[in-house]
Amino acid sequence: MITFDFIVNLLVATIRLSTPITLAAIGAVICERSGIVNIAMEGIMLIGAFFAAIVAFYSGNPWLGLLAGIFFGAIFSLLHAFATVSLHLDHVVSGAVLNILALGLTRYLMVLIVGHPGTSDPIPVGLSDYQFAIPVLSRIPVIGPMFFNQTPIVYMSFVLIILFTWFLFKTKTGLHIRSAGEHPLALETIGVSVYKMRYLGVLVSGMVGGLAGAYLSIENNVSFTEGMTNGRGFIAMAAMISGGWHPVGAFLAALFFGFADALQVRFQVFKIVDLPEEVFIIFPYVLTVIAVAGLVRKSRPPKAVGTDFMIERSED
Amino acid sequence: MNRTYSTALNAVMVVLGAIGSILWLGATFRSGETYYFWGIWLIVAAAGVYLVRYTLENGRDELLALVRKSLRSVVVPVMGIVVAILIGGVLMAITGYDPIAAYQALFYGGLVRNWHISVLNAAPLIFTALSVAFAFKAGLFNIGAEGQYYLGAMGATWASLYLGLPGIISIPLVFIFAALLGAAWNVVPAFLKVKTGAHEVITTMMLAHVARYLSPVFIRANGGDPATSLHPYVTFEILENNMLPSFSQFMEHANYRVHTGILLAIIVALVINFLLYKTRIGFEIRAVGENKDAARAQGISVGKNIFRALLIAGALAALAGFNQVNGLDHKLFENLQAGYGWNGISVALLAGGNPVGVVFTGLLWGMLDAGGQFMSRTTQTPSAIVEIVKGIILFLVVARYIYTAISQWWKRRKQKQTTAVAAGQA
Repeated sequence: MITFDFIVNLLVATIRLSTPITLAAIGAVICERSGIVNIAMEGIMLIGAFFAAIVAFYSGNPWLGLLAGIFFGAIFSLLHAFATVSLHLDHVVSGAVLNILALGLTRYLMVLIVGHPGTSDPIPVGLSDYQFAIPVLSRIPVIGPMFFNQTPIVYMSFVLIILFTWFLFKTKTGLHIRSAGEHPLALETIGVSVYKMRYLGVLVSGMVGGLAGAYLSIENNVSFTEGMTNGRGFIAMAAMISGGWHPVGAFLAALFFGFADALQVRFQVFKIVDLPEEVFIIFPYVLTVIAVAGLVRKSRPPKAVGTDFMIERSED
Repeated sequence: MNRTYSTALNAVMVVLGAIGSILWLGATFRSGETYYFWGIWLIVAAAGVYLVRYTLENGRDELLALVRKSLRSVVVPVMGIVVAILIGGVLMAITGYDPIAAYQALFYGGLVRNWHISVLNAAPLIFTALSVAFAFKAGLFNIGAEGQYYLGAMGATWASLYLGLPGIISIPLVFIFAALLGAAWNVVPAFLKVKTGAHEVITTMMLAHVARYLSPVFIRANGGDPATSLHPYVTFEILENNMLPSFSQFMEHANYRVHTGILLAIIVALVINFLLYKTRIGFEIRAVGENKDAARAQGISVGKNIFRALLIAGALAALAGFNQVNGLDHKLFENLQAGYGWNGISVALLAGGNPVGVVFTGLLWGMLDAGGQFMSRTTQTPSAIVEIVKGIILFLVVARYIYTAISQWWKRRKQKQTTAVAAGQA
């Protein structure tokens, strides 16, 4: 039963299933590094997925859908930034509210634009049609099909992991973002606005979250389904924590969750063990709990994450 | 004031309030409209008796202070609701629906015509919201109340299928069993939180998904058979002695579906309020929620209280499951999107984590749901607009800083005006 092909397929599926978690997790890394807890990721992904599918459907162009996903994810995340940074609202509360809002908003717009609830009509061209193999590299056994024969957003996620790592640790803005999450007062003292850095962090996470949503609806799928994120935003949070608030660590953790998911699907399909299918469905969720419990002690969150920062304006 | 008077007035208030609530909550407007209004008047009368007693005990100044304080705590939610309804109206107008007709249908449906559905919706929400609110008091976010709800529903179904004692003994046993299962479901998050610091938002959320997918397995083991069309995704019906009494058993004209779970929810809310504000346990939990270090310095064990808070929260959410199974459905349906847990978060946030406030916000949410359904049926406006209005209400109410900012801006403007006037005079 377990052949070479089976293993290669499993690994390729691992990459595919981990991509939305990777994207959301590296977005959350930037966000939390700037000091804002972002449990609104679930809602951001949902909004991104919805608008990506709608725009791709009506324009017939999945690339426009991709841009729409990023754009609306960013817009939605700005609400979170506004609530937590400008209105000084508790980060977890704001995130929970936005998740609820995203669910309602997509349901309403679904009826309004598509005309019926549930699942939207399939888009004519999906991003999966743009799968391309990188010459030479894709010939390498196992690694080739995993990393070099993929669909566009998967490639983008690879690039973004490197880009974000460089951005956070090698650029001045990255340093400022990290300072906003570690010691906001010090940052403000040297004349850099903490508010701006935190807005930037949330905005970046919103864009990547929207991209993750677009992946779900127009690359891995051909339509939008209500509530299709199904807890992935929270699994991404777990990946971020297990990955020690580092883009590469988050990617590795997301791979682990993707692997669990891919394995779960195969257990279900091939009936390797005779158990109810639900037992396999819950496998990744249980694994998340174990990962958070086991790895959380080794990683340290940014010192000021989740805390409010308020500038006292002098009254004049 | 004389103690006897005070006790007597208290008793009168409780009796009026209880009878009023029963009449109001059990009424079906279509035929029993007199009960509906009698109920409201009796509740108003109970509130009046409370104010009289308060004045006699504390004097008029204290009464005015109380009125001012309660008005101030109500003004933000009321403003949030009004503004959200306006925004929802604008949204409907932009997208081509008639907001006035829609809102008429919403309030007529939710408060009058389908009042019994509002009550049915509210009961489980009050339980899950109490769960979230209770955890909040300890500084914890029980975002996975949905999962504890499923556990409670499964436990209640299982016990009610096989426990054949007289109802007066059997129902409390089922109640306790469901609560214990819900509490047990939160042992893992509580343990991990205390021992490793794993955030309860992630652990309870993931366990909620686990519980969600366990329910179909449970249903198949207890009567659900996908091979037959008779009941593919539902358990057997529970024994009759384990069903909660319905209002129609002691009130004429009451809708046969409305059961006494809502009264149970209100009683539990009062008990939780007492537990939080009048007992040592409640004091410790609140102390841990306010400031962990200060609590520790006072000799309060933080870990122990995190355990207490999460376990009680789990039990409360599980009672929502008990309420649905033993009160309304009398069997467990496979419903992976029940959403009582998620909605309970909104209800708790809206009430500011106050257990008594939860009763009112729960009824408001239940009313919006029932009214929304009526609205979409009669005016073809998508009921999802209600979800958006709810989201906006929540946002406006929890973002209290908006109001602080507005009042500060207002003060500054006034100051500027006065200084300008003063300058002009000089």
